[in-house]
Amino acid sequence: MKKKGVAGYMDSEENEKPMLILKDIHKFYGTNEVLKGVSLEVKRGELVTFVGPSGCGKTTLLRLIGGFTDISSGDIILDGQRINDLPPNLRDTRICFQNYALFPHMTVAENVGYGLKINKWPKGKTAARVRELLEMVELEAFGDRMIDKLSGGQQQRVAFARALSLEPKVLLLDEPLSNLDANLRLVMREEIRKLQERLHITTVFVTHDQFEAMAISDRLVVMKDGRIEQVGSPIDIYEKPANEFIAGFVGYVNFMDGRIVSIEEKTRDAVIATEYGKIGITLQQDDINHGDDVLMVIRPESVNISLDCGGSRQNVLCGSLKTYMYAGSIAKCTVTIGDRTMIIDQYNPRDAQHFKHAEKVEVEIPRSVHLLKKKK
Amino acid sequence: MATAELSLKLQASSGSKIKDFINANLINILAALLFLLLAFFLLYPIIAVLLKSFRGPSGFTLKYYQAFFSKNYYFQSLYNTLLLGVINTVVCLVIGFCLAYMTTRGPWILRKPLKIIALVPLIAPPYLFALSLIILFGRNGLVTRMFDLHWQLYGFGGVVISQTLAFIPLAYMMIESTLMSLNPNLEESAYDMGASEATILRTITIPLLAPGLLKAALLIFVMTIAEFGNAAILGGRTPFLAPDTYTMITGESDFNMGSVLSVVLIAPCILIFFIHNYLLEGKTFTTIGGKPVASEPRKITPLIKVPFVIITTVAAGAIFICFAVVFAASFYKILGVTNKFILTNYLDFTSNQAIYNSIRVSFVAAVIGAIIGVLLAYVIVRGKFFGRTFIEMVSLSGFALPGTVLGIGYLLAFSAPPLKLTGGIMILALNCVFRFLAVGVEAGISKLHQIHIEIEEASADLGASFLTTFSRIVLPIMFPAFIAGFIYTFMTAIVSLSAVVFLVSPGFELAAVKIFDAAVYGEIGIASATTMKLVLIVMICMMILNYISNKTRLGSGIAKKPA
Amino acid sequence: MKGKFIAVVVAAIFSVVLAGSAIAEDINAYMGTSPDNNAKIAKFIKDKTGITVNQTFQSFGEIEARMKAEAPNFNADMVIGCGSSTGFLAKKSGWTIPYVSPAWKGVPDVFLDPQGNWYNIANFSFVLVANKDRLAKAGYKMPESWKELTDPKWKGEILMPSPLSSGTANMMRFSFLALYGDNEGWKFIEALDKNIAYYTRSGNAPTDLVGRGEFTLGITSDENVKKRLDDGYPLLWSIPKEGTGYDGTFAMILKGTKKLDACKKIIDLLGAPEFSELMAAIGYVTPRPAPNALYGKTLPKYIKLDLGKASDDKPKNNDIWKQKLRTDFK
Repeated sequence: MKKKGVAGYMDSEENEKPMLILKDIHKFYGTNEVLKGVSLEVKRGELVTFVGPSGCGKTTLLRLIGGFTDISSGDIILDGQRINDLPPNLRDTRICFQNYALFPHMTVAENVGYGLKINKWPKGKTAARVRELLEMVELEAFGDRMIDKLSGGQQQRVAFARALSLEPKVLLLDEPLSNLDANLRLVMREEIRKLQERLHITTVFVTHDQFEAMAISDRLVVMKDGRIEQVGSPIDIYEKPANEFIAGFVGYVNFMDGRIVSIEEKTRDAVIATEYGKIGITLQQDDINHGDDVLMVIRPESVNISLDCGGSRQNVLCGSLKTYMYAGSIAKCTVTIGDRTMIIDQYNPRDAQHFKHAEKVEVEIPRSVHLLKKKK
Repeated sequence: MATAELSLKLQASSGSKIKDFINANLINILAALLFLLLAFFLLYPIIAVLLKSFRGPSGFTLKYYQAFFSKNYYFQSLYNTLLLGVINTVVCLVIGFCLAYMTTRGPWILRKPLKIIALVPLIAPPYLFALSLIILFGRNGLVTRMFDLHWQLYGFGGVVISQTLAFIPLAYMMIESTLMSLNPNLEESAYDMGASEATILRTITIPLLAPGLLKAALLIFVMTIAEFGNAAILGGRTPFLAPDTYTMITGESDFNMGSVLSVVLIAPCILIFFIHNYLLEGKTFTTIGGKPVASEPRKITPLIKVPFVIITTVAAGAIFICFAVVFAASFYKILGVTNKFILTNYLDFTSNQAIYNSIRVSFVAAVIGAIIGVLLAYVIVRGKFFGRTFIEMVSLSGFALPGTVLGIGYLLAFSAPPLKLTGGIMILALNCVFRFLAVGVEAGISKLHQIHIEIEEASADLGASFLTTFSRIVLPIMFPAFIAGFIYTFMTAIVSLSAVVFLVSPGFELAAVKIFDAAVYGEIGIASATTMKLVLIVMICMMILNYISNKTRLGSGIAKKPA
Repeated sequence: MKGKFIAVVVAAIFSVVLAGSAIAEDINAYMGTSPDNNAKIAKFIKDKTGITVNQTFQSFGEIEARMKAEAPNFNADMVIGCGSSTGFLAKKSGWTIPYVSPAWKGVPDVFLDPQGNWYNIANFSFVLVANKDRLAKAGYKMPESWKELTDPKWKGEILMPSPLSSGTANMMRFSFLALYGDNEGWKFIEALDKNIAYYTRSGNAPTDLVGRGEFTLGITSDENVKKRLDDGYPLLWSIPKEGTGYDGTFAMILKGTKKLDACKKIIDLLGAPEFSELMAAIGYVTPRPAPNALYGKTLPKYIKLDLGKASDDKPKNNDIWKQKLRTDFK
């Protein structure tokens, strides 16, 4: 593979061109369509995560980019070049598999240097590069070890170093953290993110873990049944989900039906009528009109909960506290309002002992609540 | 009175002590019983052969060995046998690898049909190929006449070809299972790093498969030097040890010399068995378990594709043609001589009887074999007694033993009272059980390694006795291993010839022997028809077994979850 | 429980399979004639006496080997069809139950043992067979004497059975030795060996292989020639001018049988004229004169033989044979 000169990278026009473009990609296994028209652009140096429940097609999509599976229709464009028909060994992408796929009959250094050897790097240069890579993943002392003498986290680093050895244009990571235990996952995801930012390497990350996805990514691509449901920054996805599936997928959510009964055009203040009373909000979206049926997306942590259900202030609903589980920094509450149950997270729960015996509580819905427009 | 009471109490407590002892040591007692069985039905016959080779009319003697090593016709025989073994092993490995590669890495549509063609010969007697080669390429064969060729089928070449075709399925089966067990991501990673197909094969696939390939090679070598059907039919004047041993026993009834030939045949097998155990010690590579997915087809470069496709096509084609020829021949008195279409070959009563007997023997052998296999696996994995590895080695050694040797061993060991077993179904069944034990035991061991002992401990913790734990927890979990042992024993027993040929008695002929006799005798029509009937029946049996094991998958599914 | 159900089914099949033995009167016999002829003889016995004969096909040599291996605990009740050497050996070793059958009265002495240890149910010989088509294609004539077979032009074209496994081949060997004397006899055998393609396991195999056109000439047992001619094989057969040897097809009752009465019944039946007719129709020369299917009315010219000596010499000759003929492989 011919490498573009460093100057090319610096060129600003070049810099704005997306590194990877997926154009209307379809994939059939027999008659089973697993990808139903996926289009996406990935910018240079960006970390994009495909996230979705198992079977949504995210791993297949990654394998398509890597060249391990043929696409049925559509185009894959890498740095301006159409690579549909290139086999993996001729694509400038490198993949890290979920199980690391380290070669068990080779040492750590041999694993990391495999690609260099295949690409006929001179010996000295190879050794220097391997040393550099091992230092980067903090395994410089482990070069002579066999793979099965490493811990899971160490194996993960070796796989990462191996994938980076040839400075690919796009790094593909297939659930790289799923074989690690919970604490190590947190550490490793930070390390991966740091390295990725330092090297400014375009990365496509696949995971089924939505929290991991939100923590690590520049952008999330939420997938379901072979389609992209929403693309956006973690904040966008969490705060402004496009539909109920996404809202529920990226965290717990309480829904409440209502109808827009008034909109103040200037301030975008609006009133929603619900069966429990009127809720005043400030509209965030432009596509909501007077008279629309909407679904309020109420995150558990966005709700204020307080004792005693006294007067009738706006946006405050009365409910009865069913459970109250104190866990130090947070308390999880279950509140029923009418026949609806809401989950509410109370942060910094100072007066927990009072809540423990409380029956009536009041719940305040934030004015910034996100709305989903119901189809008519 | 008091003393009487006391002694009663003592008695009672010693009674329960015995019970406790039995309960506590049940696994050891089981192990001891199994070891006795192994010693009796596997070690004793071999020792009998060994002793016979040293025992002349007046006690210990080396004269039979002297005769063997001083007469060059025995030497010639040994040389031919080893050469055949080596050539066969190499060729079978190459073809088996190509076939397995195509069915695990090749295009989807080719995988199933190729696999079927590669496996079908398993259910036919191995000397089927000698039969079809004579029909096609004999001195008066269809092809020979058509092109007026002058070649010599009867001899070393003919035996190599027929033997190779016969052992392709075995090679294929073993290599395919190692290829399947290889995490496809490993090859994909190498591919991703820029390696070409050939480089992946050289640097990743073959080094990682080496233990599996070595094991396959050893097994093929052992089986090939012990199988005598093809050599007996096509050998011509070229002597081989296995048919020589057969003639020595059945023709000349020289049991001493026959035993010497057997020992000489065993020697490389035992050697190989130890090399195998030694070489593979800790040499299996463990990789983090990925999803057991089939590898997706790759864009194979022509450099690899062309030779692979040629080898695969030739091998699959040859197997297919051989079967087609036998199928055709089954409808003629003698194909190529009296070309009249007849169906009477299929009605031959004695062959029906023989097939019925074969099924009976194989069924009994499969049931006993599967049970013993599962129990052995259990005591080997869970037992903590001295000599565990020895039991494991003995029970796995069956595969390394040439059938002729165990046949002669049984004839020597069990033909006189008080151990007279010859002349019935049981000796045939037991012979098959202990020859083919290894597969059931191996399947059981690997199954048990998958389950944590905690499940059993949990059950014991809940107050279950050893027996309850075993029958409620262990047996259901090991059911797939039981089925594997059953199927393998059944299939191999029904077509195997080399041991049972010594043990059949009047009124109890087996299909494999019947076909061999008919082939040797020249009744090609009957031999072909019997083969076809046998193939059909084995296929039906396999389908039923498959159905049963699928129906009972439930049990194994539950068992897998906690692992 | 599914598991229990399966266990019960398996156990049931298992016991049925193990128990599946016949109830009707039957005996086990070692029978050394061809599978076809074995079946004919068994059917004849079944039709006339109602006794079922369970049999395996084995060559004469194999029957002898097996009896040596099993003695004195035989897995069969009797032998119907083994070589004379086996018969003499059995008598000498005391493996038989002597029975003087009244049904064999009037049969010449060569066909039975005076003490009733063995009965010779049929004599057979060896003949020269040739494949018409191959002969015509090569432009050769049918050889008229055994000596002609040593001509180098037949190299790789002649088949004969191996005396290590075949009683017929043993008969050929002792006949040639008797014909030429030991010295000249072995020289002839060695010269012949140069032209032999290979030695077959069974004495009848050359008939088939030559009939199927695999080879041009065969020295073979006469017992199957008639049948193969009837089957339509392109075969020629002859007895070269030196004549042929012969051997008996012996029957005897084995020690340890629990079905002595049935065995006696069968021995009686084998002495009956109808049985001789059956065997003669196959092509055997029988104890009671009957029209012979292969030879017709004139019996072939026989080489003068001493079957007892032939039997005694067998191990020694096997050794010589192996040393002389099996050492010169390429």
